[in-house]
Amino acid sequence: MRILSDALTFDAWRDQARALLRQGAAPETVSWEAPDRPSLFGLSPPPDAGEGPAPRVPAALVAALRQAAPYRVAGRWNLLYRVLWRGAHGERQAHLPGDRDGSALQRRIKAVRREAHHLHAFLRFQPVADDDPQRPLDLLAWFEPAHDILPWASEHFADRLGRRRWLIATPLDGVWYDGEHSHYHAPCPESWRALAREARRQDDPLWRTYYRSLFNPARLNPTAMQGHMPARFRAHTPEGRDIPGLVADARRGARRHGQAAAVGALPGKALRAPKSPDAPPPPGALK
Amino acid sequence: MDVTRKLAVLADAAKYDASCASSGAPRRGSRGKAGLGNSNGTGICHSYTPDGRCVSLLKILLTNFCLYDCQYCVNRRSSDVPRARFTPEEVARLTLDFYERNYVSGLFLSSGIIRSPDYTMEQLVRVARLLREEHGFRGYIHLKTIPEADPALIDQAARFADRLSVNIELPSERGLRDLAPEKQLGGIRRAMGTIHAGTEADQADKSRSPKRPRYAPGGQSTQMIVGADASSDRLILDTADQLYRRFRLKRVYYSAFSPIPNSPGTVPLRPPPLLREHRLYQADFLLRGYGFQPAELLADNEQLPLDIDPKLAWALRHRDLFPLDLNRAPRELIGRVPGIGLRSAERLVDLRRHRRVRFEDLVRLRCVVAKARPFVVTADHRPRDAGLDSGALRRQLVDAPVQASLWD
Repeated sequence: MRILSDALTFDAWRDQARALLRQGAAPETVSWEAPDRPSLFGLSPPPDAGEGPAPRVPAALVAALRQAAPYRVAGRWNLLYRVLWRGAHGERQAHLPGDRDGSALQRRIKAVRREAHHLHAFLRFQPVADDDPQRPLDLLAWFEPAHDILPWASEHFADRLGRRRWLIATPLDGVWYDGEHSHYHAPCPESWRALAREARRQDDPLWRTYYRSLFNPARLNPTAMQGHMPARFRAHTPEGRDIPGLVADARRGARRHGQAAAVGALPGKALRAPKSPDAPPPPGALK
Repeated sequence: MDVTRKLAVLADAAKYDASCASSGAPRRGSRGKAGLGNSNGTGICHSYTPDGRCVSLLKILLTNFCLYDCQYCVNRRSSDVPRARFTPEEVARLTLDFYERNYVSGLFLSSGIIRSPDYTMEQLVRVARLLREEHGFRGYIHLKTIPEADPALIDQAARFADRLSVNIELPSERGLRDLAPEKQLGGIRRAMGTIHAGTEADQADKSRSPKRPRYAPGGQSTQMIVGADASSDRLILDTADQLYRRFRLKRVYYSAFSPIPNSPGTVPLRPPPLLREHRLYQADFLLRGYGFQPAELLADNEQLPLDIDPKLAWALRHRDLFPLDLNRAPRELIGRVPGIGLRSAERLVDLRRHRRVRFEDLVRLRCVVAKARPFVVTADHRPRDAGLDSGALRRQLVDAPVQASLWD
């Protein structure tokens, strides 16, 4: 049994896997494990690159492996190597949903895409106060992704935010966009983390006002909300703290109509009818 | 009045419009450019409110002052609600601020009718122009179109907005006369026609510069209020089907009438069951994606059943077509099996090129197997209940009973 360290980028893993294929190392004889977890056998040195023609596998299979690689799970490379091995030995279906391994691989790909989507949807930026003109930063965010999606999924924000300079810190890694280029660091520098944590504590009354007004208490359906937006993201949004109160008020009977409580408390104003209801409204009726 | 208070009033006034789509915009981005915003065709839901609806756009009215007196509307002129009005600059600033913080993917702006339809439409266009031209905003913009406005103004709006919508509100001339006397079906259809013609002309224009913004690239949509008048599901679905065919609408939204404070006597005091709205969306989906006709979904009925979904209801009326052999049936027919969607139908057809379809494949594709089971034959499955009569089968397949509402 050969035990290899699983602390790898996809490209580094692919080099190892290619060498192992050349050596004819079957999936049962190789395992990638966390280096900090003591193993019965101890770690083996990485395989030599070896010589000879590279084993041929369908390009779509390699693409699928690359997409599944960010999925964070102990022993993540073992499934990938099994699929690669089977693909290299003529099983061209090994990465497809109809196959047992392929179906597990596709589930990982789906989860990775979904997590990238979560980043794009639920991350919240906090503008950096203008008091420090030296600070090369306009926007700050803290996010806790479940998979290793940050390096590529954060590119979305460079398309979205133009020349604005932003920083995203996570428990494992971080990315800073300086207005032209992104700088990725793993692990996340402690100074970045400190900045982002500070930003996370800030409130946004304007957004929370909008959120509370947009909610229609007559249609209360917290189950649907929970299904769409997992609690781990709600906890990091300014509106998260309003949800229990909105739900409780709606349950207490405010759901007889759709108006927000704060709006109902303001003085109302019915308006005059225009002169004839059939004629088009006179110009200047309501300046 | 400060901006926070205006926002409270004008978001509350806008929430009865169900549309929230931010999809269908052309691909564009701001990397390395002045300005802000991108779109790649798919929408993003940035949050969800406790009613289960998604928040993808800043959805507000420019003002809720209104000359009209539509009975179902919280902003009708005789309604005793707080009134407010944003300036175009305030809306632009709010949009950019919320966008930068990643709360929303754009703006959905509507308005009460003030002074005149033309004046109101001009104000809406002004906000969109401000965002696009002054602020280099490339996010999503959805503008509500005032039906009685000059077609030239609608064409202008279409060059700034990704999507336009004209709300039909009620499916019949009579319903509008009773509840929305200032609105006319003719005017609403004319505005839809203007947008449709503009889109067609734009697509046919081969000399169009690629730099010139396209004409409402996200298409147009509309909304019908369900349960404010006596309109049947048949009338609603027939109307939707006509609008899809005639004006190539992207979506028809159905909004269950929400009771409003100080409700006038002309509209119901209680809402229709939310399930009715849900069944209409399901039926609408079958019209748009599955090639169903309204008459197929309703047969001799005026209303869709509430206890089962419209596709299951159709299948129960056509037991002669079932059970269907998934290893032989054409894809279109597989998509008509209850519990099997179009995507799954396609995957099953792909799969059977390699091997025979088995029942566990339905499980793996996450079909609703409890619904599909009595209607399908696979390599290893023949339904035991194929001989069951439709009434008994229906009792077996009804959706879980819904919790009684406060009004029952």
